[in-house]
Amino acid sequence: MSLLEVKNLKTTFAIGVGTVQAVRGISFHVDEGEFVGIVGESGSGKSVTMLSVMDLLPNYAKVEADSMTFAGKELREMNARELRALHGKEIGMIFQDPMTSLNPLFTVEQQLSEPLRIHLGMKRDAARAKALELLRQVEIPDPEQRLKQYPHEFSGGMRQRVMIAMAIACSPKMVIADEPTTALDVTIQAQILDLLENLKKNTNAAIVMITHDLGVIASMCSRIIVMYGGMICEEGSSRDIFYRAQHPYTWGLLNSIPKIHHDRHEKLVPIHGTPPDMLKPPAGCPFAPRCRYCMPVCRMMTPPETGLDHGHRVFCHLMHAKAPKVERGVDR
Amino acid sequence: MTAIEPNARALPEQCAYSDLPSELFVMDGNGGEDEQIVRPSTTYWHDVWQAFRRDPLAMGGAIFIVLMGLCAIFIPMVSPYSYDGFFPLIRNQGPSWEHLCGTDQMGRDIMIRILYGARISLTVGIVAAVINFFIGVIYGGISGYVGGMVDMVLMRIVDILTSLPSLLYIVLIMLVLGSNVGSVILALCFTSWIGTARVVRSEVMRLKHSEYVLASRLSGATTRHILFHHLIPNAMGPIIVSTAFLIPNAIFSEAFLSFLGIGIQAPMASWGALANEAIPIMMTSPHQLLFPVAAICLTMFSFNFIGDGLRDALDPRMKH
Amino acid sequence: MLRYILKRLMAGVLTIVILITVAFFMMHAMPGSPFSPAEQKNVPPEILERLAESYGLNRPILEQYLEYWKSLLNGELGISFKKPDTSVNSIIATHFPVSAQVGGIAVIFSLMVGIPLGIVSAMHRGKAADFATMAFATIGISVPTYVFSVLLLWFFAGVCHLSITVWWDQWYNYLLPVACLSFNPIAYIARQTRSSMLEALEADYIRTARAKGVSELMVVAKHALKNAITPVVTYLGPLVAGLLTGSFVVERFFSVPGIGRYFVTSVSDRDYTMIMGIVIFFGVFVVICNLISDILLAVIDPRVKLSK
Repeated sequence: MSLLEVKNLKTTFAIGVGTVQAVRGISFHVDEGEFVGIVGESGSGKSVTMLSVMDLLPNYAKVEADSMTFAGKELREMNARELRALHGKEIGMIFQDPMTSLNPLFTVEQQLSEPLRIHLGMKRDAARAKALELLRQVEIPDPEQRLKQYPHEFSGGMRQRVMIAMAIACSPKMVIADEPTTALDVTIQAQILDLLENLKKNTNAAIVMITHDLGVIASMCSRIIVMYGGMICEEGSSRDIFYRAQHPYTWGLLNSIPKIHHDRHEKLVPIHGTPPDMLKPPAGCPFAPRCRYCMPVCRMMTPPETGLDHGHRVFCHLMHAKAPKVERGVDR
Repeated sequence: MTAIEPNARALPEQCAYSDLPSELFVMDGNGGEDEQIVRPSTTYWHDVWQAFRRDPLAMGGAIFIVLMGLCAIFIPMVSPYSYDGFFPLIRNQGPSWEHLCGTDQMGRDIMIRILYGARISLTVGIVAAVINFFIGVIYGGISGYVGGMVDMVLMRIVDILTSLPSLLYIVLIMLVLGSNVGSVILALCFTSWIGTARVVRSEVMRLKHSEYVLASRLSGATTRHILFHHLIPNAMGPIIVSTAFLIPNAIFSEAFLSFLGIGIQAPMASWGALANEAIPIMMTSPHQLLFPVAAICLTMFSFNFIGDGLRDALDPRMKH
Repeated sequence: MLRYILKRLMAGVLTIVILITVAFFMMHAMPGSPFSPAEQKNVPPEILERLAESYGLNRPILEQYLEYWKSLLNGELGISFKKPDTSVNSIIATHFPVSAQVGGIAVIFSLMVGIPLGIVSAMHRGKAADFATMAFATIGISVPTYVFSVLLLWFFAGVCHLSITVWWDQWYNYLLPVACLSFNPIAYIARQTRSSMLEALEADYIRTARAKGVSELMVVAKHALKNAITPVVTYLGPLVAGLLTGSFVVERFFSVPGIGRYFVTSVSDRDYTMIMGIVIFFGVFVVICNLISDILLAVIDPRVKLSK
């Protein structure tokens, strides 16, 4: 049974000049204990999708969905109190920028013990003991000392560890990591990814990892969702995405990953063009203006879902029987 | 091919996806290159102006100030009344068609006196703001950019200046230099640049470690070039806002000094002096008090609205 | 923490020393003297001469300066020039408590009204409550205190025919001066609280707190308010100093026997010792208030200690 099931999610932002259609009717699910990656470039709607699920968007955002269930319960029917009971307890969240995501005026202990006190009703000493354990779990050295310190006394990587400790404090069923490594140095990135991987092994929480870097999640995710322009392009297992990708955008992403065993004559291939203006998204496939295989139909209607084997889904008109057959090409 | 325009409405809707005509599935290479930028790109200052123009309060304030300025310049030129003189027959009259705001104890037209007061107030406000702007930018810029010991000393001086009771030095300056517009401006400029200087300092300190400054320095730019071509222009938003709020402060202080009787002297009419003169007789002829007070308040409102509007327009974070 | 306080304290003492020096020489640079024959025409010149002698005004200025420091270190601010029978110490001791009382009430009142107004306004951004509060606050910062005082006076005395000249015997005599004194600060605090609250509510750490399941009340009252209150604390130092030392206008209008009005009169009277006494008193007071607000700020925000 899937833990999180989202059907036809649409999120829009009313801003002064118009309405930004950040997420345009996407459906997906997350199974229990699964590691899902959501990949896409900036503005593809990947963060907004998960923030919509968490009800953490500012009030000028409008979230619509046919259904949005977590552990069988409909999220849209919950009142603020029931949602709060879920946040931090059943679903933990790790944010992109550890420099600004921790409150600068409270000690790490105060912030770390907050979910413990709220959801588990722990008293001060119990919460401190648990907080210590959590800091050890995320491999922060000298945790007794660190507990009393303020966020500004921590480095970026250490702060992200604290964020992770906070997200897993109440042993949630699902952890959402919103670009957890983007703001960090490369070496620190690797450490945080290791930590998340351990987390996957040691807990049975489902992890949803949002990233713009397909390479980052290559080895970790069981399933990958590729998003572009507020829609899903392709979804499938790691193998499907890396070896049997069908969507030109996924090909583009794959071609732009640097490889260690790179032939020195093989060039990295960028995807040309700019992402769509979400105030006036193109009528058809959002990727059409940048797609080298673009056909008239692509500019007219959004592509329907084409199901391949093992839950591999593609949203592309190239899947149509009348469309020319194209192989993934790197020779642009 | 040509029969079907690349337009969503041309799509045969009753047609099932699998039955779509095959000419729709021909690669035409029309993707890829045509990037269209839907919104015209605009400059920062154009955006600021657009945002400011859309703020009714700020625009109202700006229009009011402009009108007030024009009236203050031109009406006294054509008006039959003068700010000075003694007209015993028409003392303490209420508002009438001849004297829209009535007359005072000396029989002088109050409206013309308010307009002469506007000349003083606007001059004082704008000149003080301009002087403060330059002192503040230079002082704050040096303090923030050089940093270290220089910054320490400059900031201690500022601390001391702010600890001085402002009335003390203002009154001293007025006594030493006499009561005229020049000495009022000097007295007001004595410390009011400090706010601007602090803003400039913190902005410069924030920006001086940015990469574009480093890049500029690596390419051999001089300190002066970095300061005046990179740091100050980028800090311009907060500087303009703090300067905009200096104008009402200066007008306020000038009116206050005149109100205390140590500002601009009779028969010259400053708003504060007009209000002060009217206090003893405010029970019998309140209009003599209310009109100058209204002038002060409306001007203060206008400048504060302009300042608020500028702050919102210059601060991209406020845009939604 | 202790080191931080000591450092600030040292800076404060240095500020006061320089302040005294500057004020002393500035004052003596004023043209004319309190006992110059040209200004005191109805007093015989020889008496003026003797008066100047007794106040030591004929001696070299440097000597006077050192002399002044000597008495200052003994806690003596000197004898008033204008009222030769009273010491500056006793004038301050008599009148300051009155100003401090009125000002203290005004400070508390300003905080108790201004901060909640700002919070409510920020929470209801763009709605009627926000609009009403900000309209009030804009009036508050635009209308000068003296104008507000005059209007209040005109309204109560002229329109309502209430007698408000009697000061001091009834509690309600506090109402008008406190209202006048706190009018501007309330508006300023409300605006400041609103804008810093809005900024805090949009911060990432607020999203983190919500993601942890913190209740909306605690998000605002704990996580956002603690961050939003720091600019108000910074403003608190000058505010307390300004209000407690009295306002010339408000004290004159409402016949409050406070210290504020001695400010202006002593300067135009050229009452050297009185000016110096008030400048020093005010300076020390400002420095202490700023020190307290700095310490408060360091308690709230642990990053402050590092940056200074």
